[in-house]
Amino acid sequence: MNAMVKSEGVHKSFGPVEVLKGIDLEVKTGEVFCLIGPSGSGKSTFLRCINHLEKINAGRLYVDGELVGYRQKGDKLYELKDSEVALKRRDIGMVFQRFNLFPHMTAAENVIEAPVQVKGVSKAQAWERARELLDRVGLADKAGSYPSQLSGGQQQRVAIARALAMDPKLMLFDEPTSALDPELVGDVLDVMRDLAESGMTMVVVTHEMGFAREVGDSLVFMDGGVVVESGNPRDVLTDPQHERTKAFLSKVL
Amino acid sequence: MTDKFDKEPADADPSAGAVVSKDSGNVPPEAIKAIPVRHYGRWVSAVVVLALVGLLVNAFATAEKIQWSAVGDTVFDSTVLAGAGRTLLISVLAMLMGVILGVVLAVMRLSKNPVTSWVAWAYIWLFRGTPVYVQLLIWFNLALIFPTLNLGPIYKDEMVDVMTPFMAALLGLGLNEAAYMAEICRAGLMAVDEGQTEASHALGMSHAKTLRRIVIPQAMRVIVPPTGNEFINMLKTSSLVYVVTYNELLRATSTIGSTSYAVMELLFVACIWYLVMTSVFSVFQFYLERRYARGSLRQLPATPWQKVKANMLSLSNWRR
Repeated sequence: MNAMVKSEGVHKSFGPVEVLKGIDLEVKTGEVFCLIGPSGSGKSTFLRCINHLEKINAGRLYVDGELVGYRQKGDKLYELKDSEVALKRRDIGMVFQRFNLFPHMTAAENVIEAPVQVKGVSKAQAWERARELLDRVGLADKAGSYPSQLSGGQQQRVAIARALAMDPKLMLFDEPTSALDPELVGDVLDVMRDLAESGMTMVVVTHEMGFAREVGDSLVFMDGGVVVESGNPRDVLTDPQHERTKAFLSKVL
Repeated sequence: MTDKFDKEPADADPSAGAVVSKDSGNVPPEAIKAIPVRHYGRWVSAVVVLALVGLLVNAFATAEKIQWSAVGDTVFDSTVLAGAGRTLLISVLAMLMGVILGVVLAVMRLSKNPVTSWVAWAYIWLFRGTPVYVQLLIWFNLALIFPTLNLGPIYKDEMVDVMTPFMAALLGLGLNEAAYMAEICRAGLMAVDEGQTEASHALGMSHAKTLRRIVIPQAMRVIVPPTGNEFINMLKTSSLVYVVTYNELLRATSTIGSTSYAVMELLFVACIWYLVMTSVFSVFQFYLERRYARGSLRQLPATPWQKVKANMLSLSNWRR
């Protein structure tokens, strides 16, 4: 299988603070790739680098074989124009910790916005697809509700439907259940599990170790801007090799 | 769609009530019958205030020098009505100019390009830092320093022909307003959560589309209320264009006033029309704000008509 995401020595600094200190990893097509680690370890930043919401300072990052944010000609790198970056982002869905639904639009309008505005899909077609997607995340009856009228779990499921409406080949999840009340987490994880079973390539930053163990194909433990340990989630979570991994897992499990 | 939105939260209430009554069992608790606190201070202050208002009204009503008939005779005078119309026209056009230019300036000010950002800053500094009265005079007298307006091959004319009282009024008010609107728009754009821009970009939307479809509609909620205030201010500030001889409401009424020896009476007439215009607009603003509150409030504020209906309903309940 070829790599959907390939990271070679990725560095990222915010001013003087180095957040990523050389990340090497590979996400295979069709797998569920979980990133865990303490807060401030750089896992969310790395996720945001994948769709170029953050610019990397050093190293190379590839999505589906293409360089993220740059074009290489010979040994020179050319920055991509905003429109070219936008074009690549179409294929990468992203789900945020704080949902970031558009509050002035109903659930259905949130879902049809990008297909209509970016891809030029006809409204009728987009509506039909939105109904399908909202049904898939179990919210067919909430199409006309505004985000403020939905619970956190429902908002996050709409956000997933919104990302799926662009038919992405890769889905990024940035702590999708961290802002939810405990009893609402299950619904969102069910939708994600369903999505994983359909063969979607997913990179998931999460604190849900149960989800990582059951659904994940690979797992990476990050700390201090480096990959500390990686492997099969069941192996890493039950028998961590590294001291830092053991310390972290003893706190969260 | 709005009607549906109004009703939805009400659905939650009955179930909450049902839970309470279940807990308290079948015996309803005895209602409290207590003697209410008497607020004597409120009665005293109400009487004092009413007395003062009464004295003031009486002073105006019985003043021998005020010819109230002159007010009644001229309030619908065609010259006055035309003046009021021009006040409305110049206010709307200047406001329109202010809003459009203000949005452009706000976007320039927030741009990453230091030159556009600096130019916008300088514009705001200049136009907000000098009195609009002085600016009006400068536009009106522009012909003193630039006798001809020469835009190369596109346009060339005598400045006195171009800078009519209307043009001086429009430029003076509109360009000044743009500086204030720029700051209002900037505050509105900055009030939108960064996550919104990120989510939009992550969906592959361009900067322009993100601004137009996602950021500006949300910024409107912050922008509309102060913009309404600006327009009400504009309706009144437009009286300053008196000085550039544009024949708006104040100029129309004072011309009649000075020729018919009813100066104060005609100023009252002007006040009546200013009040009518600002009041009508206030109602319009209420509905505009309600429109842009969509999605951010769970329950929209009731319209006056809905309030009347609700009051009548509670009155009939009380009778029962």
